[in-house]
Amino acid sequence: MNPLKLVFKELFYRKVSSLIILVTVIAAGTVSVAVYTLSKASENETRKIMREQGLNLYIFPKGTNLIDFYSVNNTSTFPEHYIDTLAESKTFDAVRHLTGILQLKYPNWVDPNGSKHQIVVMGYKDEAMQRFLSKQETMGFDVEKGTVHIGALLSVNIPEGENFTIAGTDGKQYEFKVAKRLEEGKGMLDQGVAFNLTDLQQVLDMKGQINKIEALGCVCHDGRIKNARGQLQDIFSDLEVTEVSSIANARENQRLMMNKYGSFIIPFVLIVSLLISGLLFYSNVNSRKYEIGILKAMGKSKSYILFMILFKAFVIGLLGSLAGFFAGSFIAEYFGKEIFRFTAMSIKPLWSLLGYSVFIFPILWMLASWVPALLATQIDAAKTLSKE
Amino acid sequence: MLKINNVSKIYLKGKDKFTALQDVSLEVEKSDFLAVVGPSGSGKSTLLHLVGGLIQPDSGQVLFRGNDVYKMNSKEANRYRTKNVGFVFQQFHLIPYLTVYENIKIAETESERKNGKIEALLEKCALLPLKNKYPSELSVGEKQRTAFVRAIISEPEILLADEPTGNLDPENSKILMTLIKEFNEDGGTVLLVSHEPETTNYATKIITLRSGKRV
Ligand SMILES: Nc1ncnc2c1ncn2[C@@H]1O[C@H](COP(=O)(O)OP(=O)(O)OP(=O)(O)O)[C@@H](O)[C@H]1O
Ligand SMILES: [Mg+2]
Repeated sequence: MNPLKLVFKELFYRKVSSLIILVTVIAAGTVSVAVYTLSKASENETRKIMREQGLNLYIFPKGTNLIDFYSVNNTSTFPEHYIDTLAESKTFDAVRHLTGILQLKYPNWVDPNGSKHQIVVMGYKDEAMQRFLSKQETMGFDVEKGTVHIGALLSVNIPEGENFTIAGTDGKQYEFKVAKRLEEGKGMLDQGVAFNLTDLQQVLDMKGQINKIEALGCVCHDGRIKNARGQLQDIFSDLEVTEVSSIANARENQRLMMNKYGSFIIPFVLIVSLLISGLLFYSNVNSRKYEIGILKAMGKSKSYILFMILFKAFVIGLLGSLAGFFAGSFIAEYFGKEIFRFTAMSIKPLWSLLGYSVFIFPILWMLASWVPALLATQIDAAKTLSKE
Repeated sequence: MLKINNVSKIYLKGKDKFTALQDVSLEVEKSDFLAVVGPSGSGKSTLLHLVGGLIQPDSGQVLFRGNDVYKMNSKEANRYRTKNVGFVFQQFHLIPYLTVYENIKIAETESERKNGKIEALLEKCALLPLKNKYPSELSVGEKQRTAFVRAIISEPEILLADEPTGNLDPENSKILMTLIKEFNEDGGTVLLVSHEPETTNYATKIITLRSGKRV
């Protein structure tokens, strides 16, 4: 007779015991999937919020007076190639989206009508590719060469379709196409102009110079800024890091907490339910002593008996993982929507997790039944069968 | 065909040693019907299990056609239990979630499989209408006949029956013993443990055990 048939018949015959084991798998699956899905959602939300916050770390030359920084036209600068060094560094991984910026006050800009304005000029270097980190979408400002993005307040002074002109340090007039008129609310940039870095360096005759790097503190394990600071000091002791966003910090902490809970809860629930299942399998084997004894007396091999128990565990593990996945995803979706406002809509079942679940859970439950299964192969047929 | 040479079996009961069989020798020829009698605890079941390949003797040999059953590798030993011996116990030991038919089917070896063979045996034992019933739906006599068919489905040379009528009423005992006798008359060898004289009357040879020794 097909041993698979035997397993299924036994499974249905001992419905209650099978069901209890199944429930432990489902419970473990549900909790694992729900917690994992939520912590992924939390991670996504953090990313999203941090993205909305913009770049949150500024790197300045040491000793830069931050109050003056925005109001003077001669801050200390450093070479643009510092960024390349950082981007090439294996150890500098606490910071991402490195964007080199040259930012200065330009006191006497003349608009097309001839009026003078004090404006801020900013040159943006394309975001550096960090060689030892995975690629990701850029966050920085991309201003194409020969064009500018002009701030909302400045915008009113330049009629539609007209170019932006600015006098260079060398006395020449430089002309740029207006690629974008920025919306209000960009802070300093509302009263300013964004250039491609090389263009601005030429205008100001500051070739190869920048005075600020904006970046995003990585979503990493602890003390984001501390890490960044230490890593930067090791490479350039003449630079320093300032953090601009505390909201990001709070978010980050929340996410880390979530991860911590997850990395505690999932193994805990798994271990407890595996132990319970192990005991249930043991009691199952115990109540099958006679039938296992008779199978042995019939000449069935140890591997037949081992298979019988392990396959049962496999079937229950498989069923449980499927049910657990759907229950867990449902719970995550249901509760996650309340917790994570930003990403609420994007909390969806992680289908890749389904693959992992149906792979891992049957294996785990086979492991849980391993010792009972081995004990089953050791049952002394003579002893059990001669008992009254 | 079967030769038991000076076997002893000692059990450990806590710290005490208990000699269940001591220096027992025995020879069984094909088509013998051997009854093993003796008081409770004299080692009758132990002897049967030894022949069935279920317990390792502490000394001595169990030779089947000259091969030591306890020197076989596990594959040969499994084969021996499947093909050469069949067990019937006092407590039936049917698998509760399998039907009558399936309980027999599971003991059937590939090589002995023949269409209609199970049905024919069921018919002979008046079990055919119960083919798809579960053990819990059977009377004790029907249960034991199912266990009997299961024991002989792979056409073993030796049938080992340990008080097979112990739980049966006289009428069912008689039906079962007739079936066992028929198995014997068809060339099968029977080793039967029993207390009841009605049962031992079917035997052609009787041996008596007392305190693990043959007397
Ligand atoms: N696995 C075991 N462990 C310890 N002692 C055992 C074991 N099996 C049997 N014995 C002991 O060995 C002795 C012989 O047992 P056995 O079952 O062979 O007797 P028996 O002649 O079949 O008795 P009964 O007529 O009551 O069935 C008994 O005293 C029994 O308690
Ligand atoms: Mg006995």
